[in-house]
Amino acid sequence: MIEAPARAYQYGFLDEYAKKEIRRQTLKAVAIPGYQVPYASREMPLARGFGTGGLQITLSLLGPGDTFKVIDQGADDSVNAVNLRKFIVEACPDVSLTTRAEDATIIQTRHRVPEVGMSPGQILVLQVPYPDPLVVVEPNEAKRKQMHGEGDYARLLVKLYEDLVNFGEITISHRYPTRIHGHYVIDPSPIPRHDVPRLHMADALFLFGAGREKRIYAVPPFTRAEPLAFEDVPFRVEHFFDDTGARRPCARCGSRESFLDEFLDSYGRKQFGCSDSDYCARRQESRR
Amino acid sequence: MKPILDVRNLRKTFGDGCEQCGRLTGAAAATNRCPACGTIVAVRGASFTLRHGEILGVMGESGSGKSSLVRMLYFDEAPVSGSAVFDDKGTPVEMFALNAAQQRRLRNTRFGMVYQNAHMGLNFGISAGGNIAERLLLNEQAHYEKIRERARYLLERTGIAAARMDESPHRFSGGMQQRVQIARALATDPPLLLLDEVTTGLDVSVQARILDLILELQEALGLSMVVVTHDMGVIRQLATRTLVMKNGEVVEQGLTDQILEDPQHAYTQQLVSAAL
Repeated sequence: MIEAPARAYQYGFLDEYAKKEIRRQTLKAVAIPGYQVPYASREMPLARGFGTGGLQITLSLLGPGDTFKVIDQGADDSVNAVNLRKFIVEACPDVSLTTRAEDATIIQTRHRVPEVGMSPGQILVLQVPYPDPLVVVEPNEAKRKQMHGEGDYARLLVKLYEDLVNFGEITISHRYPTRIHGHYVIDPSPIPRHDVPRLHMADALFLFGAGREKRIYAVPPFTRAEPLAFEDVPFRVEHFFDDTGARRPCARCGSRESFLDEFLDSYGRKQFGCSDSDYCARRQESRR
Repeated sequence: MKPILDVRNLRKTFGDGCEQCGRLTGAAAATNRCPACGTIVAVRGASFTLRHGEILGVMGESGSGKSSLVRMLYFDEAPVSGSAVFDDKGTPVEMFALNAAQQRRLRNTRFGMVYQNAHMGLNFGISAGGNIAERLLLNEQAHYEKIRERARYLLERTGIAAARMDESPHRFSGGMQQRVQIARALATDPPLLLLDEVTTGLDVSVQARILDLILELQEALGLSMVVVTHDMGVIRQLATRTLVMKNGEVVEQGLTDQILEDPQHAYTQQLVSAAL
């Protein structure tokens, strides 16, 4: 006689073997900073490309007592973020949800690092569409692996050189190739350049999960993360200068430090506002 | 003085090979394909030395294994057996005993290669200057202005207006593409240059200018070169010593004058009389 299952699903949706495997590959990724560790990406109840890589890491880490936040392009309230949060509520009982980055123990994010920064003990899980930075210069995966092994990233620098020749500046806006701990170059997922320096010698752990491409990699705390650049053309972040050369403020909260999104207001005028909705909302709150 | 390159019994085959390959292929058998097992013996036991500052010609018809020979020396292909000792600034290096990273370093910093087809030697997706920059970046040079300066200098040196350095090689003529290849090969001041049919497919006046450039560079920089060609004129102009290959086998080697004036092997005699 077949017994009825005690629970419809395992805690955290994934079975214990799957979680164990993901944790082991995550540990390996932390041990070899920047190295892309292959893993058996499971089928998830959402389509690949919607953050399944990040979600699997999140599910393997979350336990009762954790506090969880989801960011989608800086926002807590977009469809993708809301759906992921709903799923976590069902799959992981006793995990509390928050929108405040500093209260979270684990934050799953699509393409932003929280504006308030990360503190010791926190984990930021990034969703990655394309884990390999070399894919733009070398189509053959076997060759790419060899190039990673030998630290052969000259062709990425040729790409930067060509940008400087053609446009007078490096045009990579996101997925800026970044060298971790002096060896492996990673694709830091599509975070804007603004967020790249936050990976450098950080207090928190950054985990990168690519579900479709089946790779996990990590930037551990207190690890060098250096964007590729030339000696005489240093890396720089987006500047958000207006026509007069002044830093644009956020149209809603007035911040001059945050990463800005462009949007049209109800009169059709071009405006700039914080991409991090939680940061912006709290600044507006405190100004009232 | 020690030679810059000492090649011993270099062998390259495509196929599994059998006991009879040695007997059934080569110049005497007039084929490089073993009739017993179907293995192609591209190069069978080539040996030669290259002295510092010398230009060695490798002559032979197509399929004689001359390109395979230089491709092995540039690590494009791995030999089946044999050795090649390269004199790296006084340190003898057994090239085929090195690991992949060491081979890559040697290839990127010590050797320069110019292919017959510019599409093999150049990346057409990036500018001419970018192609030179790639060599420098492989060599840990990371200063943008210095790279630009060096690329400008090399292109001027090989006869291309520096104003065109940011154009794609697509827009260049065949002769100019070869010049860009030469500039790229010279980027890291390599002591050894490998030239695989550099002038084939170019018209005669452009050929002459490219050959002049090669000779001039060789004299100015004291480069050692291996020049592969089927063109007797190129051999006569450039090479001090010459190797004649047929069906994967070196049938004759010696001073170029000697080989062209007094060929010993029947095949060389045929080759020389055909050209004259």
